[in-house]
Amino acid sequence: MKINFSYSILLSLILTACSKKESVDPEPQIYQFAVPANFPRPVFDIENAMTREGIELGRMLFYDVRLSGNNKVSCASCHDQKLAFSDGKALSNAGVSGTILHRHAPALVNLAWANNGLFWDGGATNLESQAFGPLTASDEMHQDLFELVDELNAVPEYVKQFDLAFKDQISSQNIVKALAQFQRTLVSANSRYDKFKRNEAEGNLSSMELRGLELVRQKCQSCHTGELFTDNAYHNNGIDADFSNDQSEGLFQGRFRISYNPADMGSFKTPTLRNAALTAPYMHDGRFTKLEDVIDHYSGEIKVSPTLDKTIPTNGFQFNPDEKKAIMAFLNTLTDEEFVTNRELSRP
Amino acid sequence: MKRIFIFAIAALIFTSCDNNDDSTEIQPVENAKTTITFDARVGNADFALNKDFTIGTRTYNFSKLRYWVSNVTLIDSKGAEYLIPDSYYLMEEVGDLNLSGTISDKLTYPARKRESIDVEDIPAGEYKSIKFSIGVDSKHNDNLSLQSGELSIANGMSNIAWMWHTSYIFSSVAGIVKEGTTSADFLAETGLNANYKTVSIDFAAPVNFSTAKGVVLNLDVTKIVDGIDLIKTPKVNAAQAEVMSALATNYGSKAMTFGSIAN
Ligand code: HEC
Ligand code: HEC
Repeated sequence: MKINFSYSILLSLILTACSKKESVDPEPQIYQFAVPANFPRPVFDIENAMTREGIELGRMLFYDVRLSGNNKVSCASCHDQKLAFSDGKALSNAGVSGTILHRHAPALVNLAWANNGLFWDGGATNLESQAFGPLTASDEMHQDLFELVDELNAVPEYVKQFDLAFKDQISSQNIVKALAQFQRTLVSANSRYDKFKRNEAEGNLSSMELRGLELVRQKCQSCHTGELFTDNAYHNNGIDADFSNDQSEGLFQGRFRISYNPADMGSFKTPTLRNAALTAPYMHDGRFTKLEDVIDHYSGEIKVSPTLDKTIPTNGFQFNPDEKKAIMAFLNTLTDEEFVTNRELSRP
Repeated sequence: MKRIFIFAIAALIFTSCDNNDDSTEIQPVENAKTTITFDARVGNADFALNKDFTIGTRTYNFSKLRYWVSNVTLIDSKGAEYLIPDSYYLMEEVGDLNLSGTISDKLTYPARKRESIDVEDIPAGEYKSIKFSIGVDSKHNDNLSLQSGELSIANGMSNIAWMWHTSYIFSSVAGIVKEGTTSADFLAETGLNANYKTVSIDFAAPVNFSTAKGVVLNLDVTKIVDGIDLIKTPKVNAAQAEVMSALATNYGSKAMTFGSIAN
């Protein structure tokens, strides 16, 4: 019966081909990442294949306050599912130290496609490396990584789940791998706009929403590109003009602090427009409370500086009131109720 | 159809492994072991911490010297390469380092002098040269979750601080430099993928590791600081891109030379 190799045996071979430790436990099941029909293919990190067990483990960790030094803060404290995994605050003080963070917590949406850096300035290259940031930062989870491993080892469920997912012990590397796997399942692709694009039931857009879509495609597309509504790149969108403050290791200078390229002065990563209605306040410091403020900004409040992106006119896009309303209406069609209520992404 | 699928999978099995053992054209007849030493020196003197050295017109007193050596490859007389698996080594000479607040509230990295690496399972043969890199290759530098060799975020040779580029620090040298009445506390570090440097060094004569006990390479610290004005730029890091790149080039192009073969 050798011909009757099942795919799962073959797949499990892939996983064991490199593992040093022999184990009799069942192999983790490869997770079939479903790419939404209107989305591009994501680029995966092959060194951390997604498995059902790994994702489940990542989900347990994401919601677990044990990940913080005082056992009170979890990733979800600042990344709340009902707000598309953002936190509703301009600058959070939900971290262990209770001090105010320097930057706004972004929504965690479609991270499987975020292949050009994470954080507002792209300081982390992938989700695996990124997670060490919040875990160790004193104003966030302030966790001692040695203690974290000890704490998780005291929980039999975790010992079992790490073994199932990685056939390995609990380690800080496996913790960030599991978190990354879970975060790659945060796919938002079932808004009314998506249903419209895929010609699905309930996929109707009103004429005003269609007008808004057209405007967004004309004016915003250069950065909020394609179906992801982001180009994953860094731009100065004219919210500030003076970047001479180089305090806090260049915090206010955006991408420049990572690239040291003068052209990147004041550039920040384009956030997706998906679920924008849920992710107020807006921008890297949460300075705009309402979406209307954002549209007013692009319409006529652009601050001009040498690095202002060329696709934004120095006097703004000069939208008339109807156009503003249309853009607002369209942005609201990007809200994905299924995403923010999906039980598979909720606290386990 | 199925066959094609199986072939594709088989290819995956082989490619899913770490790339480290794909240069094994040399058949191991009788595997040998050896010690590769990176002997830190200041010109002709042995490198030491907390001791004054004169380099040019300046006096240096070092408090640390650390750098990653990676992807060490031995090249035989036919040109075949043997890449030592998982070869990521932290070479260093440091006093107690206070790493509190990095990944642990209280963390002291104990004083250590490490100049040698032990290598086993070298396929038999005559080797004419060695190749290695200073720093960590982009694949591992960009992903702190990959485990290989001595790579770790627990030894203070990585950046994981909140909102800073998460990656490894390739090299780090610190101390005090004086010239006349001016002096500066310096900390000169390299990092970032562009500054990953590969060094090739020929042995004076072909080496057979079944008899040779070891190879000594010299790291000359005077060459590391050559042309770098540490009084003017005492903190060299990503914010001083040009100086950092010059420093990395020094490591890659002139600081390392052949020393001797220990028989
Ligand atoms: C105290 C609040 C807080 C906690 C707790 C927190 N984060 Fe965040 N998160 C933030 C802030 C603020 C940012 C933006 C920082 C920046 O860009 O400089 C962020 C950014 C991110 C990003 C980058 C997203 C992108 O699109 O670039 C990811 C991913 C992320 N966090 C995941 C996590 C994970 C996983 C955890 C738990 C291990 C976590 N966060 C815990 C506040 C928090
Ligand atoms: C030149 C590129 C560019 C263009 C064109 C552009 N944006 Fe943006 N947008 C950005 C960047 C970059 C940010 C984040 C800036 C920051 O936080 O400092 C952003 C932020 C936003 C946000 C806030 C999202 C959040 O989660 O905080 C919204 C909403 C938004 N843009 C809507 C639009 C609309 C609507 C248009 C067209 C009228 C538009 N943008 C045109 C680059 C652009």
